[in-house]
Amino acid sequence: MERNMSEVQLSSFPPRVLVTKIGFDGHDRGSRIVASFLRDAGMEVIETAPWQEISQVVRLALEEDVDVVGVSSLSADHLLMPKLMAALQEAGLSHVKVVVGGIVPDDDEVMLLNAGVAQVFHPGVGRDEIVEGVAAFAAQAREQRNGELVT
Amino acid sequence: MREPEADSTPQSALIERVRAGELAAVARLLTELERLSPAAPQLLAEIAPFLGRAQVVGFTGPPGAGKSTLVNAYIKALRAEGKTVGVLAVDPSSPVSGGALLGDRIRMNDHTDDDGVFIRSLASRGHVGGLTPAAVRMIDAFDAAGKDVIILETVGAGQSEIDVAEVADIRIVLNAPGLGDDIQAMKSGILDIADILVVNKADLDGAEKTFRHLLSAVHLSSIKADTPVMKTVATTGEGVVELAQQVLGIAASRSETPKTRRRNRARRLLAWAAADMIERRVSKRPDAGIDAVCDDILSGRMTPDEAAIELLKSS
Amino acid sequence: MSDQAVQLPLPGFEAVRDEWRSDYDDQMGPALNPKNRSGIEVKPLYTPDDWNGDAYMEDLGFPGQVPMTRGIYPSMHRGRTWSQRQLIGLGTPEDYNARLKALIAHGASAGSLIPCNSVYRGYDADEVPAELLGTCGAVVNSVDDMEICYRDIPLENFSTAQNDPSPFTLLALLLAVAKRRGIPWNRITGTSNQSDYISHFVCNHMFFRLALPGARRVLVDHIAFSQKHLPGWNPLSVVGQHMQQGGATPAEAMGLTLSTAIQYAHDCEARGLDPNEFLTRFTFFFDISLSFFEEIAKFRAGRRIWQRIVRERFGATNPKAWRFKFHGQTSGVDLTREQPLNNIARVTAQAIAGIFGGLQSLHTDSYDEVLSVPTEQAARIAVSTQEILKDEAHLTDVIDPLGGSYYVESMTNDMEEKILAVIEQIDAEGGMYAAVSSGLVQRIVGVSALAHQDRIDSGEQTVVGVNKFKVPEEDEMPRQPLKPPPADVIEAQIERLKRYKAERDQTATARAMDELSRAAESEDENVFEKIVDATCAGATHGEICQRLRDIYGFGDPLIVP
Repeated sequence: MERNMSEVQLSSFPPRVLVTKIGFDGHDRGSRIVASFLRDAGMEVIETAPWQEISQVVRLALEEDVDVVGVSSLSADHLLMPKLMAALQEAGLSHVKVVVGGIVPDDDEVMLLNAGVAQVFHPGVGRDEIVEGVAAFAAQAREQRNGELVT
Repeated sequence: MREPEADSTPQSALIERVRAGELAAVARLLTELERLSPAAPQLLAEIAPFLGRAQVVGFTGPPGAGKSTLVNAYIKALRAEGKTVGVLAVDPSSPVSGGALLGDRIRMNDHTDDDGVFIRSLASRGHVGGLTPAAVRMIDAFDAAGKDVIILETVGAGQSEIDVAEVADIRIVLNAPGLGDDIQAMKSGILDIADILVVNKADLDGAEKTFRHLLSAVHLSSIKADTPVMKTVATTGEGVVELAQQVLGIAASRSETPKTRRRNRARRLLAWAAADMIERRVSKRPDAGIDAVCDDILSGRMTPDEAAIELLKSS
Repeated sequence: MSDQAVQLPLPGFEAVRDEWRSDYDDQMGPALNPKNRSGIEVKPLYTPDDWNGDAYMEDLGFPGQVPMTRGIYPSMHRGRTWSQRQLIGLGTPEDYNARLKALIAHGASAGSLIPCNSVYRGYDADEVPAELLGTCGAVVNSVDDMEICYRDIPLENFSTAQNDPSPFTLLALLLAVAKRRGIPWNRITGTSNQSDYISHFVCNHMFFRLALPGARRVLVDHIAFSQKHLPGWNPLSVVGQHMQQGGATPAEAMGLTLSTAIQYAHDCEARGLDPNEFLTRFTFFFDISLSFFEEIAKFRAGRRIWQRIVRERFGATNPKAWRFKFHGQTSGVDLTREQPLNNIARVTAQAIAGIFGGLQSLHTDSYDEVLSVPTEQAARIAVSTQEILKDEAHLTDVIDPLGGSYYVESMTNDMEEKILAVIEQIDAEGGMYAAVSSGLVQRIVGVSALAHQDRIDSGEQTVVGVNKFKVPEEDEMPRQPLKPPPADVIEAQIERLKRYKAERDQTATARAMDELSRAAESEDENVFEKIVDATCAGATHGEICQRLRDIYGFGDPLIVP
């Protein structure tokens, strides 16, 4: 089959990011704003309703073949992150980078990083920092994934 | 070309996993085919023997008509009949940044623990023509994965989305009351491709008016006169079983073979690819040859039709 | 001074004004006027050109009288200052009871109950991930839990505020406790703080438990039930706070809140309730942002508009129904994680705006709320802030002290116009219920949220410590750790619930739940009455929510990208 050269190559496709919330909290203004400016930075952002189950997040990450999962947490829902990280691992999605945004106490941040979370973005972090961080993680994820590509 | 040892390639291994229903493999195949990766040509060759089984049902309509919610309810109806479903939900990309907010899944949340349903969001990326071939390849990926029904959801907002909608075997065009001037809210062209017209949110005030508008559109426009107009309330599921039956009825009334259906899709792709090519050729500047042909048209030495035939021959 | 209203032209006014203007322009150059959060241009100076007192009676009048701009009571804060309401939650029912007793020992006569987020979402402790239990509020599922929350507290003399979204299970559990103790329900006083399901549907999604039609039905039934059985209970607090925290501008938040109240009033009317009766029980709850004068103008304009609406649209003749009673909470959105002690200054300015705006009750945020659940010390400072403003700064000596200010009156009029435009837009959509169903309101709020964030990111809106006057990271306070209850305490709580479910009268519970289903599926029965019956019979919070979700549908918010 002849390839249509007007189509772009794999590497130039925009980062795909899942922006979601787990647990009980439903304050999703922050995650919607982040989703909007990731979009404005040229990324493809899959949005969800709040209160996703761990298994749902894994399923979404898998079906949508995302590079980065961003979890917004305002109250205590970040305490579920270790479970999410384990579930992603188990589903064979270890290349997917996970970031958390919101209110996370210092002690818990250490716990999240130990569980494999790539970065925690605290309130007040500028949008440039978030965009650059997510873009860099997406590139890493894709590189790791391309390493195991079928070609 | 298929290599003699195809069975041992990573591509064939992936397709084997796809055929076995492994979700991660299906996800991977979709991505490879969407992006036309270096592996894609062989993947397409590998899946070719398995294609043509699935029924492709398109849902399109203006923003706010409730497409995703209706698709969610339709999936439920299909699952009740034991059919497996693949969904391709297309959302427009931002023309400025190239990014996209893919939010259709928010309203299709009932199926995340059901392995019989696979949903993938796709950004239109503003490709002229490029979106449609990508969507067709992804439909093939779902087909190869053994999905009985593939749902293609698009916003009827621009020509490229209408093009995508057109590759569905059965096209459902929906509208809802309260979206401004009902018919004008729907892009011209979008009504013409409808096999079924649906007034969603039929429980709202003004639904009857929208319904009558669509009925009269069927009578007045180029839409086939026997095109059914139906009412649904996607949030409660009202009318959705009837819609599913209508789809089945239309499908049964069609005599085309799976092969014909796929050939129809290829035919659309061919037409758009050819049009793209001619467009690129004609708009290239400067081009002395094209200028000469244009002068011939201007001076009456050739009609535009004759000139186009010459151009096609030389392309 | 003469008693006459100011007359224009004042001798020499125009000449001197023009001279000032030209001096001003010389100094400032062609700088544009800034706009406040609601998009109203703010001039450098306000004069009788902007408001001159001619319309005094029409615009202001006197406190406790139409048009209520200056306050809803004749004596306002002189007669009775605002009540201090601080929120408490955390942990087990025992933890809540201990905190509540400590507050009462400090003189509190009212206390609000914040339940755990699992309760907000409509679940019992035995059906959720245990690590999240008790991290944000008290775990209250059964009548036994509620009994412990108010152990040794005479409910007949104690006003409670239940943070209790539809279907109002906490109130139902409270009434079950009262019944156990033999306290007549007409002695129970307080407020259902989270009854405004529309604000939950649009903004505070955590509280949105039942799909819209169900939430609508249960709210009206709750109001009807309260009217009949609970004379001391305020069943409805319309929550502008959620709209504003969700991103609406102050004018939009006020307009959307009033439109919501209009919707609820129509729904009550349709249920056959009397506006002169139910409107007296409507209360409001607003965010107080740092946009100082804009907030003051928002509250003054809101009062003026509401009295007009209740009289003109609902024909209310009872002056008590004209009162725009509201609770204000200083906005957490304006607080920063950076240099958190600065938040004390922010909260102080917000609180002053609320007091000058004429609120009836006030919650001041703790400076560390943006970091964690408030510490004791921070909570104490928040309460002291109110005392200082009242007793040391004498903010309550004069009623509506900014009344007559050219700026405040002009801004009040401008805000009124903006707010009315929002109400008109919602009216045109067919009312608030229709406007949230179609996503119009979500779009309004979403667009404003992004615009405000843009202003902060671009530096147009200064946020000290965030986009200006930053300090090195090491000077900042550590983020306080969450102190969730110990795992064994939570385990015991879950065990207690399981035991409760095993040992209660199963037949009575099942019968009451069947009754609830029947009522919920009927057209005209009072669903809330059956919820109260169910808690009295032994049903739990999660069971009732589950039953109603099955019938009315899950509370999925409408998310408009």
